[in-house]
Amino acid sequence: MTSNNNDKQTIVEYIKNWSRKHSLFVMAYGTGCGAIEIPATMTSRYDAERFGIRGAATPRQADVLLITGYLATKTLKRVIRVYEQMQDPKYVIAFGSCTINGGMYYDSYNTINALDRYIPVDVYINGCMPRPEAVISGFVQLQKQIAEGNADNGTKYKENLEWYRTNQTKIIKNWRMPDYNW
Amino acid sequence: MNSFFLILLILFAGAGLSFALGKISSIISGTVAFLSIAAASALFFTQIEMGSFIEFSLGGIQLQWGINSYGYLFGIIVLGLGTLASLYSISYMQNKERTGGFYFNYVLVIAGMTGIIFSNDFVSFFIFWEIMTWASYLIIIYSGKNVKKIGIKYMIFSAVGAYSMLTAIVMIKGTYDTFLISEAINSGAFNFVDNIYIPILLLIGFGVKAATMPLHVWAPGAYNNAPTSFTVIFSGAMSKMGVLGMGLVLGHIFTVDRSGNLINFFSQFSVIALQQTIMWLGGITAVIGTLYALIQDDAKKLLAYSSIAQLGYITVGLATGTKLGVMAALFLAVVHGIFKGALFMVVGAVERQAGTTDMTKISGLIRKMPYTFLTALISIIALAGIPPLGGFVGKWMLYEALITESNSYFLVIVIFFSSTAAFLYSYRFLFGLFLGQEEKETEHVKEAPITMVIPMLILAVLLVITGAFPGLIFAPIAQAMEFIGFKDVTWNMSVLNNVWGNEMNLTYLGITIAVVFASIFAFLTLKGLKGTRYIGTKDISTSGEIPYDNENLTFQIDFFQPFVRAAAPMYKRSMDKIWNELGNGLEALFNFTRKIYTGNGQTYALFVVVFLVLLLLLKDTLFI
Amino acid sequence: MEDLGIKIIGALLTVVLAFTVGMTYGGIVRKLTARVQNRRGPVVWQNFLDLLKLQSKKTNVAHGFMGHMAPVWIIIAAGTVLMFIPILNGDLWFPNLTFHGDLIFLLYMMVFGSLGMALGAGQTGNPNSAIGVTRGLSQMVGFEIPFVLALVALMIQYKTTSIQDIMAIQAETGVWMMFSNPFAFLAALFASLGMFRYSPFDIVGAPAELASGPMSEFGGKYLGTMMTGGSIFAFIKLTLYVDLFMGGAGFGTGFIATIIGLGILLLKTFSLYMVPVFYGWISPRYRTEQAIRYFWGWPTALGVIAVIWAIF
Repeated sequence: MTSNNNDKQTIVEYIKNWSRKHSLFVMAYGTGCGAIEIPATMTSRYDAERFGIRGAATPRQADVLLITGYLATKTLKRVIRVYEQMQDPKYVIAFGSCTINGGMYYDSYNTINALDRYIPVDVYINGCMPRPEAVISGFVQLQKQIAEGNADNGTKYKENLEWYRTNQTKIIKNWRMPDYNW
Repeated sequence: MNSFFLILLILFAGAGLSFALGKISSIISGTVAFLSIAAASALFFTQIEMGSFIEFSLGGIQLQWGINSYGYLFGIIVLGLGTLASLYSISYMQNKERTGGFYFNYVLVIAGMTGIIFSNDFVSFFIFWEIMTWASYLIIIYSGKNVKKIGIKYMIFSAVGAYSMLTAIVMIKGTYDTFLISEAINSGAFNFVDNIYIPILLLIGFGVKAATMPLHVWAPGAYNNAPTSFTVIFSGAMSKMGVLGMGLVLGHIFTVDRSGNLINFFSQFSVIALQQTIMWLGGITAVIGTLYALIQDDAKKLLAYSSIAQLGYITVGLATGTKLGVMAALFLAVVHGIFKGALFMVVGAVERQAGTTDMTKISGLIRKMPYTFLTALISIIALAGIPPLGGFVGKWMLYEALITESNSYFLVIVIFFSSTAAFLYSYRFLFGLFLGQEEKETEHVKEAPITMVIPMLILAVLLVITGAFPGLIFAPIAQAMEFIGFKDVTWNMSVLNNVWGNEMNLTYLGITIAVVFASIFAFLTLKGLKGTRYIGTKDISTSGEIPYDNENLTFQIDFFQPFVRAAAPMYKRSMDKIWNELGNGLEALFNFTRKIYTGNGQTYALFVVVFLVLLLLLKDTLFI
Repeated sequence: MEDLGIKIIGALLTVVLAFTVGMTYGGIVRKLTARVQNRRGPVVWQNFLDLLKLQSKKTNVAHGFMGHMAPVWIIIAAGTVLMFIPILNGDLWFPNLTFHGDLIFLLYMMVFGSLGMALGAGQTGNPNSAIGVTRGLSQMVGFEIPFVLALVALMIQYKTTSIQDIMAIQAETGVWMMFSNPFAFLAALFASLGMFRYSPFDIVGAPAELASGPMSEFGGKYLGTMMTGGSIFAFIKLTLYVDLFMGGAGFGTGFIATIIGLGILLLKTFSLYMVPVFYGWISPRYRTEQAIRYFWGWPTALGVIAVIWAIF
């Protein structure tokens, strides 16, 4: 997913992106079985805090949403709500094979196969489940994208809202969401 | 005609007229009441000269009515607050019944209080005191609920207070042969060396009205039961009548002994004992009021308990007996009248618009009643004593007086504990009524009518002004204190001083706050102005769930559970229980007396016959 | 006019100093915590990065006017209190707008900020915020009692309520308050554990407790401003303690002396800051009623002994 990238950013934009990439608040929202790798990444051995990554308690305080594994349709509705409650600029990191092509549950009636149809994703991390080193390399990749100015998927979601909504309402049967009030 | 007569005549005529017009319409009745009180206060503020008095005799007793600077101070509170409250009351009592009777008693209460201020002798003081008490009793039972429990309790305590006052007055007449207050004082009636009983009896009488522990048990029920537009003056002005009396008595005890006698050790000890007792009673009142205010779910009862606590502060200040202390107490009395009046007006407005004051049933009214919220916010900041508003000035002076001039340092801790716990119920009041979730039941609520909003906003503006320029109120207070007997009371417009030479400059404080506020508000609003959006209270982070409409997201019950759990031992003892047990014990005693005094006519006739028979039988031995 | 100009520049310098030192202390503490836990930890200027990121969020959400005003009130409280505390002893470069800053005024002004945040958190309508606020206020009643006892003991002993006078007395006698009234210092130290909201008294703002309690609905620039306010407040409280108990900091007038004085101030405040931080590394969290009972136990007893000591 690329948006317009101008190779030369202004100084202000450069400083903003530099601060954004070195201070990422991660929404502590473990959605699937990949969540078991998160505590390992955050604690002493693989210390994610040296990159400035910190846990945040609510979507209002968070920048990064981690989708850690398969998503049941029930969970997908809540994830969409959480994603919409976050504030721009926001990033999504998708763990595991289940978010890429369905993974182990590719033929299940209850889970989704491609996360990208429902919310925009910045970085995929492959694996089932990815080890902490892989998780950290995913974060480093996100940092690189932020530095280049490529990570503005929040705006992309806003602009293509109808397309995303069509996909979401197709798969979520009891759609009962408040209107997205920009 | 003399202005004293004129003012009281206007008030009494207004009372009668509003009673008569009450049958037609409640608004007309209310307007007549308001006009009479407004006319009376206009006359009071313009026509009265300090120090003038008139004399006349009534039934052989010489009465004297006049105004001195001490009474003038309380007159400001009574008539000022009374005018605003009666304006407020027009809309509040709009659709209620028997408003003629209500306004009759309402204006009578104000007339009684004005009469107390005008009284220069004890008899008229007592007459007007009783008028005030009886009229307020009739209003308390206006709604017909809880007559026995609350009304009778109020009457008993008031009667006990009034009769002890009467006893003291009779004793003064017997010892000094005068009814005039100033003459009695000059002859040493309040000299604690010679007469121990007179000041104590008077203090009991005034203590009932000023809700000092242990005489405070009538207050929560009475404040709660009366219609809110009366509670505004009940709590704002009537309790200050007790303060007036206490100030008079205590001021004369603690200032220089008027006859110039040497104070020997015994008298010094008794004076100190009196002082410490009253101070600690005031402190305990403050703590009790605060603790019980925390656990209330009803906004009106919360304010009632909070009134008791604030009156405790005033009692402590009066009992310190020093210039700074008494100034602090009188200043707190004035400011308390203003902010408690405003708060009860807020509660009344909410009650009228939303139907109830129970905080577990309504919440989230901030968007619907913004002016009411603004008044409540400013009044709560003043109540909590937070700078830069008026409550802080009073509290500062009180603490300084306690630390620098009196020797009771542990009382400072008690007062400070009560003051910190006051933050808790202040927040509860604001959160319970205005903040929090917006529920469906309160969707129809609109802002209060203009005749209710204007008095509230006037009081709020007064609070802001007294915070920045407390000197405006210090002027009448200084004159009042000089009347009681302090000499050379100095004050500044915006700078507070204490005896150790430390000062608190309020102008700098005000400027600093204004500058910081302007800059940070501008920064926060203008930064990212386009991207800021305002959302309602249903859009909260509930872990991604979308709550159904009937799901409860309101947190109002058991609000201060951790504090109540931690302070559980303090809640176990209750003054109410002690009085109830005393009442039960007395009833048992009276039941025993019933055996003789049976109330049956034939038994009495039997007694008379038995007595005559005994007389005839024993006439030889008895009458030789 | 010139005098006023210097005062304003001094005030601005004080604000910048408080902001920088407060945030840096936060970063240093995070680094030290990480080292204690056997990991690398973030860089020392991490708090500044967090602040920059939060302020550069493109959309911000507020629940109403009180929610918008909450950070404003915290900064008002922080800024006003900062103006009334002497930072350095009798110095030209950091003159405050204070004139005999008064202890009672400071006690009440510090609550102004908490009230603002409580009101803002209340308007969001989130029940977690409201519960967090009640916990915070109840805890505040807890630790204020020993704190006030310690301050009253100091005020009685030296017959003054102004901080500058207490600093002057320490300079005169050459003995720190810490040693001339040790019980007051101990009581105030226990109270500081509650003030800085480290373990075991961090139930109010911990992310695992009720989704971070009062701050759960604040994000973007509001969260950034509140973090700034919190850091400035930490610096203020440390400076207050140093002024009252450790003799203030100052070396004389002149540019070099100011720098040395600032260095001494930083040394003293940091060493004082380490006490709650150390205690926090090894403590689990208290429930609110346990915390309140804790403060009303030994710390209050120490405060009472301090007052008695001061009387005699």
